[in-house]
Amino acid sequence: MKQWMKVLKNGLSFENPLTVLMIGLCSVLAVSSRAEGSFFMGVAVMFVLVMSNVIIAAIRHLIPEEVRIPIFIVIIASFVTIVDLVMKAYLPSVYSFLGVWIPLIVVNCIVLGRAEAFAYHNRVWLSVADGIGMGLGYTIIITALAAFRELFGGGQIVFLKMTLVTLPAFYRPPNILLLFPGAFMLFGLIVAGSQALNRRMAAKQAAAHASVKEAM
Amino acid sequence: MLKLYMRLGIPVLVVCIVAAAGLAVTYAVTKDRIAAQDREAKARSLRIVLADATTFAEIDAKKDAAAYEKAASAAGDTRVDGLYRALDGSGAQVGWGVLVAPRGYGGPISMAVGVDRNGKVTGATIISMNETPGLGTKVLTQVDWLPRFVGLDTATGADSVRKVDTIMGATKTSRGVRNGVGAAAAIYADVLKSMEGGAGQ
Repeated sequence: MKQWMKVLKNGLSFENPLTVLMIGLCSVLAVSSRAEGSFFMGVAVMFVLVMSNVIIAAIRHLIPEEVRIPIFIVIIASFVTIVDLVMKAYLPSVYSFLGVWIPLIVVNCIVLGRAEAFAYHNRVWLSVADGIGMGLGYTIIITALAAFRELFGGGQIVFLKMTLVTLPAFYRPPNILLLFPGAFMLFGLIVAGSQALNRRMAAKQAAAHASVKEAM
Repeated sequence: MLKLYMRLGIPVLVVCIVAAAGLAVTYAVTKDRIAAQDREAKARSLRIVLADATTFAEIDAKKDAAAYEKAASAAGDTRVDGLYRALDGSGAQVGWGVLVAPRGYGGPISMAVGVDRNGKVTGATIISMNETPGLGTKVLTQVDWLPRFVGLDTATGADSVRKVDTIMGATKTSRGVRNGVGAAAAIYADVLKSMEGGAGQ
């Protein structure tokens, strides 16, 4: 259980797919102009990650190494298509906003990367933790970025047709936040912030480790 | 050699079969719902642009292939997604609904345009688009903009459409929407006008 939590936390901090591994970024820059769309994009990625991780970990001994990539892709593409169909059927407004980015999860480096680097070598149970951790790490960053861009670039946040926050009318939203340059700049700041946080956490852990050793 | 093919091929084959089965099930479960959502979205936008109509009968693309062909050439660059007879409660025709997808800044803008029997535009609305939030989306958030197309005469289609000013910061998107209304006007003039008195009456 301890290891399980550690794997999960890794996805959020030291191996966050977006701020540390820096993979799967195109989707983040493209869809992070609206919090609602970004949140569901994160949920979709997390679902695909967890499910493909589980299946691949479960059958990893049966997959010949030479053909593992085609098999990974078939599994990932199937779950992406399931998400695609379900979202089209039940969340049409979100689906029309995300558009091509849902099918493009197939080629999202995070999903294939975790299949190759983690699920193919680990037990099912740990692969679930990896999927959830990576998925949450992705969802949190993309939703935070999108909420900031939508609020300060558009003046309000709308989630499932409910207006959550509205800035007073005297605030004139700078459009650059909603355009790609704004996404790049804000994302840079998020990376810097999370690096600082990770460094502090690592230092704290090292200190705790040292003091344990001393006490022994 | 054969043994190697079997060793590598069979796992791939099995995975593909299971995946295909899973997808078939998902497709079967969601199919009707997706079709219904699609129809509902179209009907909703057609009702917005043609408030007098209660039902919309789609002109069959197979039976009336010629109409769609002519419409596509009248629309030029703009994609034609559907032609509808707009009927009121008693079944009498009150106008035409046209679904078009002109090119915007971020891909096609899917929109609906209504034309009444006198050839006047009764309204235009956007079904879905991928325009830049805060810029291109001004065509929707500036609520007084789309209504400016109401009452335009399709006889002078392209010219009168150009009288509607584009929105600052949303030039490409508003031009796209204008092209969409212009295309609908051209479709009415070239195709729909002469179909009056057809099956809907």
